[in-house]
Amino acid sequence: MADTMGHSATATRNTSVAIGFCLLAIAPQIFEFIWSIGTIFGWGAGRGPATVLISHATALVAGAPAALIGAAGGDTKKASSDVLLALIYSYPLFAVAILTVFMTIRSAQDYVGGIVLMALALFALWASSDLQGMRGFSFGAGTAPRMFGGLLVALGAGIALTGLLADGPGMAHYSWRGPMFVMASIVFFALAIRPLGVVVSAFTSFLIAAMGTHETRWVETIIVGACLTAGCALLFPYVLGLPMPMFPRFLVQ
Amino acid sequence: MDIFANLAHGFAVALSPINLLMCLIGALVGTLVGVLPGIGTIATVAMLLPITFGLPPVGALIMLAGIYYGAQYGGSTTSILVNIPGEATSVVTAIDGHQMAKQGRAGPALAIAAIGSFFAGCVATVLIAVLGAPLTKLALAFGPAEYFSLMVLGLIFAVVLAKGSVLKAIAMIVFGLLLSMVGSDIETGASRMAFNIPELADGLGFATVAMGVFGFAEIIRNLDAGAEMNRDLVQQKITGLMPTRKDLIDSTPAILRGTVLGSILGILPGGGAVIASFAAYTLEKKLAKNPSRFGRGAIEGVAAPESANNAAAQTSFIPLLTLGIPPNAVMALMVGAMTIHGIVPGPQVMQKQPDLVWGMIASMWIGNLMLIIINLPLVGIWVRLLRVPYRLMFPSIVIFCAIGIYSVNNAPVDVILAGVFGLVGYWLIKHDFEPAPLLLGMVLGPLMEENLRRALLISRGDWSVFLTRPLSAVLLAIAAFLLTLTLLPMLRAKRDEVFTESEN
Repeated sequence: MADTMGHSATATRNTSVAIGFCLLAIAPQIFEFIWSIGTIFGWGAGRGPATVLISHATALVAGAPAALIGAAGGDTKKASSDVLLALIYSYPLFAVAILTVFMTIRSAQDYVGGIVLMALALFALWASSDLQGMRGFSFGAGTAPRMFGGLLVALGAGIALTGLLADGPGMAHYSWRGPMFVMASIVFFALAIRPLGVVVSAFTSFLIAAMGTHETRWVETIIVGACLTAGCALLFPYVLGLPMPMFPRFLVQ
Repeated sequence: MDIFANLAHGFAVALSPINLLMCLIGALVGTLVGVLPGIGTIATVAMLLPITFGLPPVGALIMLAGIYYGAQYGGSTTSILVNIPGEATSVVTAIDGHQMAKQGRAGPALAIAAIGSFFAGCVATVLIAVLGAPLTKLALAFGPAEYFSLMVLGLIFAVVLAKGSVLKAIAMIVFGLLLSMVGSDIETGASRMAFNIPELADGLGFATVAMGVFGFAEIIRNLDAGAEMNRDLVQQKITGLMPTRKDLIDSTPAILRGTVLGSILGILPGGGAVIASFAAYTLEKKLAKNPSRFGRGAIEGVAAPESANNAAAQTSFIPLLTLGIPPNAVMALMVGAMTIHGIVPGPQVMQKQPDLVWGMIASMWIGNLMLIIINLPLVGIWVRLLRVPYRLMFPSIVIFCAIGIYSVNNAPVDVILAGVFGLVGYWLIKHDFEPAPLLLGMVLGPLMEENLRRALLISRGDWSVFLTRPLSAVLLAIAAFLLTLTLLPMLRAKRDEVFTESEN
């Protein structure tokens, strides 16, 4: 096997997968950081970006090891949620990333798929870590999520293991054009529906989505888009009686 | 005779003008999505869930049911004429059906497909009516432990019958169970995994996830392949719909066998129309005196799978209506539709909502009658629809879905969540995970958790309750048996692979 694939090619491939896992390991922290930038402009509530950055960095570098040592020494002090995130979610994934470098991946599709599922399950375990567990013989709110989260960690690990043991397909090719424009269209619709109403947001979203393929011909797209918008504007509010704004707010007033 | 009284009542409900209209709309929409490749039944039912909001519950469910079995009719048209399955359930119909069309026998192929479906639909309707009441009585004897075991069995069935890796299918179910736990806990009211997002406090919307994973993800995936599909449409005009005497004689036993097989596979949890059509085709090939005819335009190869998928599509309503447990993803969506209207699916539905249950059963027969009319004389119209290019279709679906999701709760966040689940679904497809078990897990999640909790509470924390109660033990034993049956050959194959590798 190794001679056909070339050793160096496998090595670079593994490194990029490992780097991907490292990014995945701190993805929630990065997400919260990006989210927190909004608080500068007064959008949303939550911690500011500086606080987020500092608290996660200390949790990752100092807090979690300290908590580990503390736990080993029998100290049951309650850890903060940032430290728990680092402990439950980030550290296991870093460990997986390090292990990945030394593995021969025989089916990247299964291996990466399994690890990402495992990451999701670990994240769910962290998210339900503040919930109450068993109380005597009755289930607490956190029991079932933890049970199934644990099960999914095991299953994800199992799938990843089959990716190491059995030959299978590699990573599939992802295209960016379709997903990007369809997502852009969906997000635009979600943001525009309240202020701009069905007519404007549906038509614009239609045009954005149509950019998802290079085969779009604009004249027919605009005609179809206009007809569809008109149809939806009649169907949803009038025929089905679902209340929604029709026209931009500033025009109506 | 109770059944006749009930059926008469059902027909009275189904024949009211509004319900007839709903049935017709369902059948038309079903045929439409069945004909058009690239839009699945699950996505369509998910898309139309919000629309049923403004309708009376009976009409809404009649319409949604019509879409499901209507799609089985429509799918065969595309399979036969274009050699692209319009629907996953008519994949095998394309093999012989398209050959028949190429030989200039498209008319008889379409006719036999429709006749087979109609016959199967009638049988399945009777079956639902006959089996409904006794199964409901059985269900009333179920305690929480039995319910939990039954759901485990259903999920295991789904795993066993899913294509691809067993491990992956189980993982998808567990993922679905986890997703179902987002939101408030039923018993304590504690907010679980909601991250203080108010829109998540009520849990992830079922329609939202379904639309994302099946609607948006399908679109993104289809765009990958290039929007323009190669459509090798049989161009000549379809003449002579009537099958010959020989066709009828050849296909009658195939239709009968397909109907029986489809009805059984439909009732089993995890089954459904797709597997039924494959199984029926295989069975015909095995039984045929001259199997080499298959793949070259054998009429049995059209008759059997088409009867089987329609029978299965209808009999899969049995577990839903009697036990309240959805056997497949479309039925899971029907649960969603019922809950939107405040109906809790379960054995009590049959007694408390006779209008709904019997009206729906009667409407199935009426719907089948409508479908045979919609499909045979009007086949030309449906074929013309196939010329609508995907580049115009997909933005329309995106917008329609987006407005639909928004209208459920008037919540823009739901639309974005559906988009995120679209990406998740795209990723799942790329990694060869099947999304249908995920949906099933998500629907069964709250039910399973509730029954598990209740069973353990009653037994005072004793897990052995699932094994000491006889019914529950039998159900679990079947589940374990099935799972080992599927896992054994896989393990052996894996080990063989490992061994051959190490020998090199």
